[in-house]
Amino acid sequence: MIDAPRVELWAILPVLMLFGGGLIALLASGFARRAAQAPFALFTLAALAAAAASALWLWNRETTTALEGMVSIDRLAVVATLALCGIGAFGAYLGFHYFERDDFRRNEFYALLLFALGGMALLVAAADLIVVFLAVEVLSLALYVMTALTFRRGPTEAAMKYFLLGAFASAFLLYGVAMSYGASATTSVQGLARALTGVGGSQPLALVGALLLVVGLGFKVSLVPFHMWTPDVYQGAPSPVTAFMSAATKVAVFVAMVRVLDVAFGSLAWDLAPAIAVLSAGSMILGSVLAIAQRDVKRMLAYSSVAQAGFILSSFVSPEREGIAAALFYLISYSAAVVGAFGVVMLISGGIREQTGFERFRGLGRRQPVLAALLSVFLLSLAGIPPTAGFVAKVLVFGAATSAGYWPLVLIGALASVAGAFFYLRVIALMAMQEPRGVDIADPSPLPRLVLAVPAVTVVVLGIVPGVIVPLLQEAGVLTW
Amino acid sequence: MLTEYLPIVAMAVLAVAFGVASLVVSRMFRPHRPNPVKLSPYECGNDPVRLPRGERFSVKFYVVAMLFIIFDIEIIFLFPWAVRFRQLGLFGLVEMAFFIGLVFVAYIYVWRAGGLDWATSVEAPADADLASDSPRDPMAAADEELAAAMHDAEVAGAR
Repeated sequence: MIDAPRVELWAILPVLMLFGGGLIALLASGFARRAAQAPFALFTLAALAAAAASALWLWNRETTTALEGMVSIDRLAVVATLALCGIGAFGAYLGFHYFERDDFRRNEFYALLLFALGGMALLVAAADLIVVFLAVEVLSLALYVMTALTFRRGPTEAAMKYFLLGAFASAFLLYGVAMSYGASATTSVQGLARALTGVGGSQPLALVGALLLVVGLGFKVSLVPFHMWTPDVYQGAPSPVTAFMSAATKVAVFVAMVRVLDVAFGSLAWDLAPAIAVLSAGSMILGSVLAIAQRDVKRMLAYSSVAQAGFILSSFVSPEREGIAAALFYLISYSAAVVGAFGVVMLISGGIREQTGFERFRGLGRRQPVLAALLSVFLLSLAGIPPTAGFVAKVLVFGAATSAGYWPLVLIGALASVAGAFFYLRVIALMAMQEPRGVDIADPSPLPRLVLAVPAVTVVVLGIVPGVIVPLLQEAGVLTW
Repeated sequence: MLTEYLPIVAMAVLAVAFGVASLVVSRMFRPHRPNPVKLSPYECGNDPVRLPRGERFSVKFYVVAMLFIIFDIEIIFLFPWAVRFRQLGLFGLVEMAFFIGLVFVAYIYVWRAGGLDWATSVEAPADADLASDSPRDPMAAADEELAAAMHDAEVAGAR
């Protein structure tokens, strides 16, 4: 007799909202292939609101696991899901504006966005390595298609590269799951933690498994030896898709890394920390240095996101609550800034044939003062310059790394920030101090400017009064198992 | 424990030896009188239409292959469920109905998106410029080069 598993669907209600919305949007896009996309965008926002509401409803639940230990119900997942829904809303709006401007009907965009978000919301709650793998695949497959959505050669090439390298990384992830299973005879995060602290588990095998998992997940957040795809894909993908995936993927995968590294392999933290420090230092240095050499803003932001991934990872050397809260704060401030930055780039680049070379930004302060000001705020936050959230985020992350005794890593991080400040400020100088050349192709519509003011305000408010969310994030950082 | 595999190894060795020996012996004793008919590839008794090499297929076959995979996976899940239908009971029935429903959504989308029409298999939007980025499209040029090279090879082969 096979026992039917207990089906506690309420535990994954946010995920179900997103997938359900995605299915409806997919069916509708099949039947209304040439229809206006406004209803699709509104429906997507409604699905995101429903998912966010059901995530909030889970906030006061007892921390536990559900669905036979496959997903966890805790505040970390709730905070991450809320952040993902917010990023998704901006992605949906930016995509709507991008496709509407060129009258380019691709209503599948909304279905794919919801599917990707569903995978991400599942990833942040995953309490089993198999679910981690499943969620990573769901979000990746949706992102591959979204990258190629405009049918142009650049995006198609980017999607192909992303797909081939992503498939390679999935193999590493799966191999890591297999090794972890070999070490502990379980794939559950909780079970792994128990087996590795007791006498049952095999430590060397678990170490190999953990490192392979870091490779697989590190690919998705573009840590340095696995970052090769990032510049090509971020540059080739349509700007709203880049904005969405650069922020949302990092939030989802880093939260999954918190669970995998701090909980499942928590007892190996001292053995894993040096490897994490090396990856983090490599990402910070290489990302910052290579960004200096770029002549295209999207490509520069792609390399900068490699460096940002290194900064976030540096908090992982401290398996304390502060480390998790610091990583969450960094993820939120980075997401707001990067969504905004790619959003502004989308408006400046002038339509589906995106022109994002530096010459487009020359003298932008004269022609488009609002866009130039918005982009400056986002770049200052990414650079980590005081009254913005990026500064507080860097302080928190470096504080966590210092308290774990990794001050050389913090030193490298500080130096990389200085190098980073150079290329961010260069774009601001280009916009403010140079004479404009050529025709102005920037988008004149006012609504996207208003929408992009929201992340800008977020970045500044979080920079001045980080206390509004830090206590919440510290609560989310308590992982009880 | 490994000794249990000995019969399998012996069997493998015998199989390889038999194959090699048959080829060697027939090579040594058979008469060698080739003619064009004997050398031509066999195609159900007809004259072969094309030579079996360098053949290019329409990319549309990929759509067919992917559609096949959707339903192939469905069958993989249906089989174990059917075998254990009684034990799984109502729960299994509902879950399986739900699963088939999800696959059906994909099917409806593919049908509406024109994935089942051979003539316009995957529609590209009117302003898609996969072939018009530059006046002399490098991809088309590569295609032409390839076609020319294949034609040359064909001519050389016929001689």
